[in-house]
Amino acid sequence: MSPIAQVIKASKEFKSGDSIITALKPSSMQLEAGKLTLILGPSGSGKTTLLSLIGCVIYPTSGEVIIDGVKTSSLNARKMAGLRLNKIGFVFQQFNLLAPLSAEQNIMLPLTLMNISASEAKKRVKDAMTKVNMSHRASSLPKMMSGGEQQRIAIARALVTEPPIMLCDEPTASLDSASAQLVMEELRALAREGKAVAIVTHDMRLKPFADEIIYVDNGEISKTEIIQNI
Amino acid sequence: MLRYAWQFMKYDKAKSLGIVIGIIISIFLIGQQTGIFIFLTNAMKALVVNSKSDLWVVDSKTVNANALGKLDIRKVREIQSVEGVAQVFPVVVAGGTAQFDNGTTAGVQVIGSDEPAYRIGLKKEKIIGGKIEDLLEDGAVSADYFDRATLGGALLGTRFEINGKKAVIAVQTRGVRGFGGVFLFTNIEKARFFGNQSNNTVSAVLLDVTPGTDPIMVRDRINKSVFGVRAWTSKDFEASTVNFLLSNSGIGFSIGSLIVFALIAGFFIIGLTMYSAALDRIRDYGTLKGIGASNGYIVRLILLQAFLFSLVGFALGYLFIDLFRRGVSKAGTVFEFTPGIIFAFFVVTLVISIGGASFAIKRIISLEPASVFRG
Repeated sequence: MSPIAQVIKASKEFKSGDSIITALKPSSMQLEAGKLTLILGPSGSGKTTLLSLIGCVIYPTSGEVIIDGVKTSSLNARKMAGLRLNKIGFVFQQFNLLAPLSAEQNIMLPLTLMNISASEAKKRVKDAMTKVNMSHRASSLPKMMSGGEQQRIAIARALVTEPPIMLCDEPTASLDSASAQLVMEELRALAREGKAVAIVTHDMRLKPFADEIIYVDNGEISKTEIIQNI
Repeated sequence: MLRYAWQFMKYDKAKSLGIVIGIIISIFLIGQQTGIFIFLTNAMKALVVNSKSDLWVVDSKTVNANALGKLDIRKVREIQSVEGVAQVFPVVVAGGTAQFDNGTTAGVQVIGSDEPAYRIGLKKEKIIGGKIEDLLEDGAVSADYFDRATLGGALLGTRFEINGKKAVIAVQTRGVRGFGGVFLFTNIEKARFFGNQSNNTVSAVLLDVTPGTDPIMVRDRINKSVFGVRAWTSKDFEASTVNFLLSNSGIGFSIGSLIVFALIAGFFIIGLTMYSAALDRIRDYGTLKGIGASNGYIVRLILLQAFLFSLVGFALGYLFIDLFRRGVSKAGTVFEFTPGIIFAFFVVTLVISIGGASFAIKRIISLEPASVFRG
């Protein structure tokens, strides 16, 4: 199967005063449709930098990142935003739901950005909420929901645009174990439906959900492990 | 987007209220000062505005209708003889002191013009008591309703003295008030009598041009052919009077600086509150950027909030301005805002609101989409 996202010898350096910090040494990896990939590593290992590169929120210092056949280095900020909107669904550690908007409006947001018609958007929002079993919370504000509920709404927001890639940054870190289990089952189900799902985490308990594990340590990919799930 | 903007505003009620109050205070101060300015400039040109003629002729050095010089009576006949002049109406303005039975004294300007035309100060629509014919009685003058406090509570029929000579208020007007002193209108003989003025001088000459004649041409003919006088169109004389008084009194600078400070205060109150509100929502804006909103979308979202704040703030601010206008009009400070001025208030509201939003916009634009991954 051809990869939907490729990182080819990509590195990332940040300037901090007069010194340059290497957050990621030249690294290569790829995400494939239908697979759930865990990116594992300790804090400060470079796993979030790797996710940021695949998520098109930063440009690589060297090397190349290719998303669905498009080289990100050739895109300006506006086109990068368009690529994120159309190709990638994000799930964050702190859920990042917009506080003033209801659950339904949060899920609707990316569709509004894509200029999807109101009737089509409503239908897609309804489907996404059904998929994560959150239809009963449509009009609730984020502050009225538990962490697990907020994360499920965040997943619904990420999948409502039907992106081929789902990127999740520590999606279970702020959840209790029951909610974490539920969220991981939903993410694995999305992978089974054909999406490329990448999860950055340092939580080893998530390993049973993975099809592939990429270990990141000291700013580089140290090992890739393919899991044979039954 | 409209709904999202509204939701953002509604969510942070305290800050939104702060922004709206900032706009209200700013626009109210601007409206209040503008209203006072309009009232004062109207008062400055009241003598000209409340007259009826094609041209004013005054002595050649006069540029201010509130300080008329003297014209020899022979000039009136000279002016009458200029081609294109249909009819002339001499005006006498005499200063004096009014004294009332209750001990009140007031500086007055007695302004006389030929009856029955009474081309100055006695427009029918401004008369609220008495009849214009009543001014023929001995000592009869008009006085304005709003000057009653200055005139010791004098109303229609009140008897008093001007420069020690008996006078009576026979006509009452509403809204014909002078800039410097109280206007009392009467016929030309009584004005001379009260002001101890010679029959050989007048203060100004109003004139009508013959039908079909261009007043500008007549004005130029008078200025060319009659020595020692200057003819003005009413509009030019109004403008000259206002310009002279504004540049010599400091009123323009004083009110202008208050308006500028109201603008600056509004700009910073709104700007800093919007900036603070944007910082509170920085994670939300970061998320928007992270999931693919362009800077343009986010700028439009913030500008839309600024526009909605303008609408709400302007509606409430203008309500307070109008209440102020109605309140002070009862005390004689009468002014009106034209639709153009009201529109200008709204534009000013938009400018301070959108200008204030620029602080927040600058901050949000500089926000990196990668910030979304930083907890």
